[in-house]
Amino acid sequence: MRELVISNLRGALTAVTGILAEAVPRVLAMIIIIVAGWVIAWIAEFILRRLLVLARFNRLFESKGVTRALSVAALPSPSEMISRIVFWCIWVAFILVGINALGVVALQREVSDFVSLLPQFIVALLVIFFGFLAANFFSRAALLAAVNANSPSPRLVSGFVRFLILLLAVTMALERVGLGRGVVLVAFAVSFGAIMMGLAIAFGLGGRHVARRILERRFAAGGERKEEKDEEASHL
Amino acid sequence: MAEERFLSDEFVSQLTAVGEVDIVVGLPTFNNRDTVQRVVNAILVGLVKYFPRQRSVLINPDAGSKDGTTEAVQAASIPDFRAVLASSPLRTMHVVSARYPGVQGESEALRMLFAAADLLGAKACAFVSPDLESITPEWIDALVQPALKDGFDFVGPIYQRRRFDGLLVKNLLHPLIRAAYGYQIEEPVGREVALSGRLASYFLSDQSHREDFPGLGAFEWMTTAAMAGGYRVCQAFLGPRVTASKRSALDLNTAIKEVAGSLFRCLEIHQSYWLSRQKCEQVPTFGFQPVLDLDPVRIDRKRMFQMFSSGVDDLRPVLEQILSPGTLEAITAIAKLEERQFRFPDDLWAKTVCEFAASYHHSAINRDHLLQALTPVYRGRVSSFILENGRAGSEDVELKLESLRQEYERLKPYLIENWNRKVR
Amino acid sequence: MRTTSSSPDSPSGMPAPGADPLWYKDAVIYELHARAFHDSNGDGIGDFPGLLQKLDYVQDLGVTTIWLLPFYPSPLKDDGYDISDYTGINPAYGTLENFREFLEQAHRRNLRVITELVINHTSDQHPWFQEARSSPDNPRRDWYVWSNTDDRYRGVRIIFKDSELSNWTWDPISKAYYWHRFFSHQPDLNFDNPAVVEEIWKVMQFWADMGVDGFRVDAVPYLVEREGTSCENLPETHDVVKFLRRRLNEKYPMIFLLAEANQWPADVRHYFGDGDEFQMAFHFPLMPRMFMGVKLEDRKPIMDILQQTPDIPETCQWGIFLRNHDELTLEMVSDVERDYMYDMYALDAGARLNLGIRRRLAPLMDGDRRRLELMNGMLMSLPGSPVLYYGDEIGMGDNIFLGDRNGVRTPMQWSGGWNAGFSAADPERLYLPLLSNPVYGYQTVNVEAQRRTDHSLWSWMKKLIQVRKSTRAFSRGGIEFLQPRNHRVFAYIRTLGNDRVLVVNNLSRSAQPVELDLRAFEGYIPVEMFGGNPFPRIGRLPYLMTLPPYGFYWFRMRRL
Repeated sequence: MRELVISNLRGALTAVTGILAEAVPRVLAMIIIIVAGWVIAWIAEFILRRLLVLARFNRLFESKGVTRALSVAALPSPSEMISRIVFWCIWVAFILVGINALGVVALQREVSDFVSLLPQFIVALLVIFFGFLAANFFSRAALLAAVNANSPSPRLVSGFVRFLILLLAVTMALERVGLGRGVVLVAFAVSFGAIMMGLAIAFGLGGRHVARRILERRFAAGGERKEEKDEEASHL
Repeated sequence: MAEERFLSDEFVSQLTAVGEVDIVVGLPTFNNRDTVQRVVNAILVGLVKYFPRQRSVLINPDAGSKDGTTEAVQAASIPDFRAVLASSPLRTMHVVSARYPGVQGESEALRMLFAAADLLGAKACAFVSPDLESITPEWIDALVQPALKDGFDFVGPIYQRRRFDGLLVKNLLHPLIRAAYGYQIEEPVGREVALSGRLASYFLSDQSHREDFPGLGAFEWMTTAAMAGGYRVCQAFLGPRVTASKRSALDLNTAIKEVAGSLFRCLEIHQSYWLSRQKCEQVPTFGFQPVLDLDPVRIDRKRMFQMFSSGVDDLRPVLEQILSPGTLEAITAIAKLEERQFRFPDDLWAKTVCEFAASYHHSAINRDHLLQALTPVYRGRVSSFILENGRAGSEDVELKLESLRQEYERLKPYLIENWNRKVR
Repeated sequence: MRTTSSSPDSPSGMPAPGADPLWYKDAVIYELHARAFHDSNGDGIGDFPGLLQKLDYVQDLGVTTIWLLPFYPSPLKDDGYDISDYTGINPAYGTLENFREFLEQAHRRNLRVITELVINHTSDQHPWFQEARSSPDNPRRDWYVWSNTDDRYRGVRIIFKDSELSNWTWDPISKAYYWHRFFSHQPDLNFDNPAVVEEIWKVMQFWADMGVDGFRVDAVPYLVEREGTSCENLPETHDVVKFLRRRLNEKYPMIFLLAEANQWPADVRHYFGDGDEFQMAFHFPLMPRMFMGVKLEDRKPIMDILQQTPDIPETCQWGIFLRNHDELTLEMVSDVERDYMYDMYALDAGARLNLGIRRRLAPLMDGDRRRLELMNGMLMSLPGSPVLYYGDEIGMGDNIFLGDRNGVRTPMQWSGGWNAGFSAADPERLYLPLLSNPVYGYQTVNVEAQRRTDHSLWSWMKKLIQVRKSTRAFSRGGIEFLQPRNHRVFAYIRTLGNDRVLVVNNLSRSAQPVELDLRAFEGYIPVEMFGGNPFPRIGRLPYLMTLPPYGFYWFRMRRL
């Protein structure tokens, strides 16, 4: 009995030792790959950041207001962002290679799924990013237009525009990554439709006097609009 | 690469028939059939009366009128000059109409006129609007004479204004140009101007910024480029500027976008000139300016104030990106005043404009948005100006404006400092 | 002496004298003064025998008619226009016999001769006036226009405003004022007096019987005066003319009357009547506008005046000219136009006289051969009978320092020798000094030198006249103006029956392109008339032509 246990223990120890002897080099390889990847990614980021600064890369975006938009969003400058993206791309690639090097089939499958999902994820991030920029831009445009047209509640209009655009962007991003596709789409359609219906009812019933005034101004031959024009025409 | 060919064959053929001239008068049109004949008559009589010996041509670049405008231009003639003049013209009167390529726009029409003046070797080139009701033949004399005979390169107009007419010009354009460029030019967006042949040739050769100046901006560009280029500048008194219809007038938003935006762009292009410019010169003025006090323009001051007040409040997040904290606080404070106590002081207004200009230069936000944000602030200034000067006579108003201009000049170092600062 | 053919067609191609009562329509008239042309007896003054000696020259030039400036006895205070004897010859110029002989020789060379009929006024030395002023009861008293005051005909303009202050002058002998539209020594005849009209008719008969071919009637508009009018162009004046013309037609149907009426074309039109007054009248307003057109480089002034010119009866003709013995008159232009002409052509105030410019053609053209040719080309191609002033065919100059209009009446320059070949007299004895400056002096500009070369102005003028006479489209044809877009080009078509001539003139100092709308002549071949070269056939498209500075073309339009 004792010999059997010892024999089994010896066998188990041999098996574990064998597994460890097999796994440790792989783990070591993984660690080395990941560390090397970090170093390479850091070097690449450093060099790229320097090059972009020297090439005044940020200037290209200044006049378009991108720099400003990013700073408002507490995001770094374009050159910084790109450098960081490059860093992460390289390092994540090395991490994935390192994980692959472990040789764990289940893990390899997950890595493979993750890699195939990555482009969609990046696209989704971009959609949200540009959606955010667009929301900023158009909400501000709406605000300015409403203020200068002397419309009531310009901030409400502006906020509404921002909300709509962000909603659209998030919906598109989620759809891109395939998260609850059907649910998100339906939820968006229902929300959007409800909002529009609500606005129409509010304006048509509750604000029918305003609606009439606006139409009269648009289509009348003279009147208030002409007076506005008379006044407006004198500034030059 | 071959240079662009932008004059049509038919137009060139007509110019060839006209030959070398001394004077070109340009009359850009677009659907102005109802008003253009009177303007053409005034031009022709002016040329015959004041320049009987000079070779001249009236060129009508048209944007594609569908109402028979060009036919009206061709048909307009003085059937018997002896009815309005002592004698008939010595020379053949030439009137050339042609469609100009591209979309409708002042700069395209002007380019065509520069090309015609250059091709024909014109010594003087004048531009007139097709919807003027107040034009007289004397306008032609006043504009062309200094360019043709007195050696000036740019002749700007001075209009006889009604009180509170042209407040954007008086409160923003004129004083800012005076402070920056150092020339006291009354009407920097004057649409009736004259150029010497050499200045017209220069504008023809420098078309790099053509697309930066839509609409009236093109005239602003000409005015500032003439000053910055070291050309001899003067101005001539014309009279009241009355146009046939207000329909063609710009709404305030578009006006500010076009003229204030153009001015800020001009400041960018000419920064090497004005940043170092120290002095401020009087511009030689021709013609007799009567002291006659015309009726003031009606402006709804209260509406202006209300739009200012609510606009400042609503646009605070936008204005924060344009103005300095101190200026924004000051504007916010006055926006909260009662309407009758409201005052928008000269120094605050001038400072605001300087900061807008600098922020435009640095593209603090989208430039279109920046200019739109200026509109409610300007309304506040207008409201205050009218409140302060409602009962003042024209001389007192002129004193106030002069004081404003001096305030701009005093703030020039501030403008320069903001202009040159690093982006926040 | 050369004999001439008496066949119906003379060597010049023109009909022989006597064949065609409308001969004046084809005339190329040469205006000269016997005094200025050639001196035969060495007294320093030209004369008829001398003129006779030069008839071959005149014939050779190609002109068809000689217009003689006044040669009658006269105190010569107005260069012969102050006549003291209507039926004599100034002894300085010869005798009546000399004149007859000259006339006969001219006719033998197929040259017609027209003389001056200065009937508006006489010299105050004329026996008629001497008698009239002697007493209020004298039978000839009423032959002139008298007044006790100078209030009559108030407001009537003074023509010689540089030298006269009034149209009335006080006569100390007859103690009354007499009327004169010109110089004070030229009292106006009173055409309200039938006796005056009869006497004038007798004068006309005298010369007509001698063989003169026409009369140039001086100062026609001023014959009759009426209170409250401008005393010009009155209906009564036309009545006088009609009367004289009727008489002339009855007895001398080949003789023609030429009116000197410095008026607007619409006013001159009346002097043609219904073909029962003058056969020809000078077109005064056209002349300064030709000068203006060349300076402005614009056809407008020329075209305008021609388009304003009314139609005239079929038997009548305009007389067109560039220069003559008088100043280049600027009466029939506006103030603006006059100022322009002064500034362009008479910057030196010494050249200005009596609302005109007293210069010859060549100095007015700055001696520019091209401009001289262009001006003469237009003269020979526009509607009317052209009048060429003596000396202009060689480009003679002038002398504005000679006073009055004498600067354009200097002796003819025949050669570079003694007195320019004009006279054998001492130079100091000449009636007027010769031009002797290096540009226009007789050593440089003279007939002998120019006749030696084919390229001289004289040779060119001879050719020009010859080409003009090759078709009656110029002399009798209608005119249709082309209006190309290039205003510097003045183009027109002269048409007589099937004979069509296209004339294209470049009024500019620079070469010009022009596109002519000749669709009405599609298929025709333009043949350039000086060189005889055919040009490309006319098609449906605008006919493109290029012209050198001040260049002109005449094209015969051939249908082949």
